[in-house]
Amino acid sequence: MNFDYIIQISGPMLEGARTTVLLFLIVIALSIPLGFVVTLMAKSALKPLAWMAHSYIYVMRGTPLLLQLLFFCFGLPQIPVIGEYLVLDRFVAASLGFILNYGAYFAEIFRGGLLSIDKGQHEAAKVLGLSKWQTLRKVILAQMFRVALPAVANESISLVKDTALLYAVAVPELLNYAKTAVNRDFTVTPFVVAGVIYLLMTLVLTLFFKALERRFKFE
Amino acid sequence: MNTMIEVKELQKSFGSLEVLKKVSFSVSPGEAVAVIGPSGSGKSTMLRSLVHLEEITGGSIVIQGKPLVENGKYAGASDIRTITASMGMVFQHFNLFPHLTVRGNLELAPRTLKREKVAAIEAKSRDLLAKVGLADKADVYPSMLSGGQKQRVAIARALMLNPDILLFDEPTSALDPELTGEVLRVIRQLADEQMTMIIVTHEMNFARDVADRIIFMDKGEIAESGTPEQIFGSPRLERTRLFLNQG
Ligand SMILES: Nc1ncnc2c1ncn2[C@@H]1O[C@H](COP(=O)(O)OP(=O)(O)OP(=O)(O)O)[C@@H](O)[C@H]1O
Ligand SMILES: [Mg+2]
Repeated sequence: MNFDYIIQISGPMLEGARTTVLLFLIVIALSIPLGFVVTLMAKSALKPLAWMAHSYIYVMRGTPLLLQLLFFCFGLPQIPVIGEYLVLDRFVAASLGFILNYGAYFAEIFRGGLLSIDKGQHEAAKVLGLSKWQTLRKVILAQMFRVALPAVANESISLVKDTALLYAVAVPELLNYAKTAVNRDFTVTPFVVAGVIYLLMTLVLTLFFKALERRFKFE
Repeated sequence: MNTMIEVKELQKSFGSLEVLKKVSFSVSPGEAVAVIGPSGSGKSTMLRSLVHLEEITGGSIVIQGKPLVENGKYAGASDIRTITASMGMVFQHFNLFPHLTVRGNLELAPRTLKREKVAAIEAKSRDLLAKVGLADKADVYPSMLSGGQKQRVAIARALMLNPDILLFDEPTSALDPELTGEVLRVIRQLADEQMTMIIVTHEMNFARDVADRIIFMDKGEIAESGTPEQIFGSPRLERTRLFLNQG
């Protein structure tokens, strides 16, 4: 492995990594709130709302993410009549697929967090005169996020790696650049560089979530 | 006002299981009532009904002259809130909020309900923590406390809202024996200050010492009630005697 060569390909590859990071940030920023709303819907006393939330979670978790991405990028425009209005920018379409998919996983994680909270917490809050809404905001949510934190960390790290699926819908990103360089230069080095860049990203995330967990240890 | 709590023919069923069968009693201001009885006799259900943690099936509950339920019909939601606000409750398993410090636990409800100034709330939480002997634990999280300390925090938290009535559901049952004393001492002090209290307990010596009146519940009914001397000295019923002797 030649050091100059690594420097030479690192430029374009970091360019590709920018797409990866951008996708990651967009998906995290939107799928966590989405997951949270879906969790509340799933818990709702309004049956149709709860049913919708559960169906959504079931479909998104029960089918391959790759299928969902292909559906949003290449399937939507094929729908009769409305299809022509659904030709989205490839990156936007893929982001949508990721957000909806990860939203479902986050919803399940938060639902588990809610279930783990002892019913004595609700009772204590009620006897102290807090309304249902105040109890949710001040007592339940903080605990739910704390319980969910390790699982959210895991999911985030999965997302970093899943961004490589952009390759399959032909959005240029890190892996795409690596593959191009491998084909062009007849060397395995670009794959190794790509691997190191992914490792750096997951390392940063791991450290970030470790710090969060320490911060919210409640000790 | 001559009664704090007036319960008439309270009935409660869970499905087909009849847990409380026409329970009636009343509590006067400043009175400390201890409720004893075998497991499953309905003590917790009775206590929880008073603060609307259980919805009763029939009968009446009147708190300081205001009906929470009358002949099975509940007051409106906002009346229920005002009426139950005059009561505090201490649970067997403390139910402290783990994500808040001790001070945070005390101040959450008053700060959220905004009926008092923040400075007054802070001063009160400081005073109450001192009163239960935990002034040095204000900034600690509940996970760092012993069971006895947790329960004293729970009592202080209940007192933050100036309740007229305090309800205790087996406040020492989850504690190691050597830690019950510190909690019972706090409750005893409240009794000395004429706090109106109902205490469900298995601590017979404590009940005898502190309570003005003992209620013995069995199978969803008040089997017998009277002064500690009567109940412990010369119980009227065979089943009371049996219950007291096995403990
Ligand atoms: N939510 C519920 N659903 C169904 N049954 C219940 C419920 N809560 C209590 N019960 C039943 O009601 C009866 C009385 O329970 P309760 O908890 O009031 O008894 P207790 O006197 O407090 O007993 P212990 O001394 O064990 O605390 C028991 O048979 C119990 O199984
Ligand atoms: Mg009980």
